[in-house]
Amino acid sequence: MTFSEGVQLVSFIILTAIVLGGAAGVVLLRSMVHSAFLLGLVFIGAAGLYVLLNADFVAAAQILIYVGAVNVLILFAIMLVNKRIPTDRPVFSPRNAVTGLVCAGLFALLAVCIFQVPWQIQEPVAMNTVIEIGKRFFSEFLLPFEVASVLLLLAMVGAIILAQREYIPDRAEGEPEPLALPERPRDEVDTTPTGRR
Amino acid sequence: MFVLSGYDALLIFLMLSALVPVLALTISSLLRPKGSGAFRTTTYESGVDPRGDSWIQFNIRYYMFALVFVVFDVETVFLYPWAAAFNQLGLLAFIEALIFIAILVVALVYAWRKGALEWT
Repeated sequence: MTFSEGVQLVSFIILTAIVLGGAAGVVLLRSMVHSAFLLGLVFIGAAGLYVLLNADFVAAAQILIYVGAVNVLILFAIMLVNKRIPTDRPVFSPRNAVTGLVCAGLFALLAVCIFQVPWQIQEPVAMNTVIEIGKRFFSEFLLPFEVASVLLLLAMVGAIILAQREYIPDRAEGEPEPLALPERPRDEVDTTPTGRR
Repeated sequence: MFVLSGYDALLIFLMLSALVPVLALTISSLLRPKGSGAFRTTTYESGVDPRGDSWIQFNIRYYMFALVFVVFDVETVFLYPWAAAFNQLGLLAFIEALIFIAILVVALVYAWRKGALEWT
């Protein structure tokens, strides 16, 4: 075993420990915020595993999208929900048993799949994948590249429309407020110096 | 087999950057006074007395910032290969990337006009 192989083995062990330990923490910790931060750690560990597999662009995208965007959205959602989980829930409840059963079944299925599929393992080629992807973007995948920006535009418009909850009133002046589904009450903005965060 | 080059520098960088918070906390624990008043365990809140619980409900408005951020974050992933291959691509690719950005500027203008970027 050469020095570089040793470094890779140690890196793999450390990254796997980070991913597995972090994932266990995400499931087992009581505080949702702690779980969300640990999820970010799991994503970073997965990015490290991608680097070990010579997929540097996938690793960069993993950090940018999963750690930068998905995890931030999850944290925002937790901060907005404002729901305290009662800390005295039993660990061995029927609900947790069903969840564990489903997860164990999924794990067994994936493990069987991974061991049964005859993977075609190729020798890795030393090349700059990011530049290669950039060249392909502007030659054969130009239309999907441009359509992606339209898709992002649509996503932004849809997200803003959903988040703002604007509506056109379909009633005349003086009519009473229509009955609506109960929603989260809107907060008045706290203008005291400490209230603004 | 690992073929990517330049990652030994990244490894050293990661080790050094992991050392920074450890050193910062260790040195400050050596220097700081060992007092343990009641104020020591209170939450730091911009220098004023904290009020209420630290777990508050944030305004839904902040979710808009996050959503707008996510869209432009995904845009970065698409522009990163373009920037890396910029020298080998030429003028046409530059114009195509400008079209890509222009479509997303429309999204930014929409968010701006809808007030999604307003802080208060």
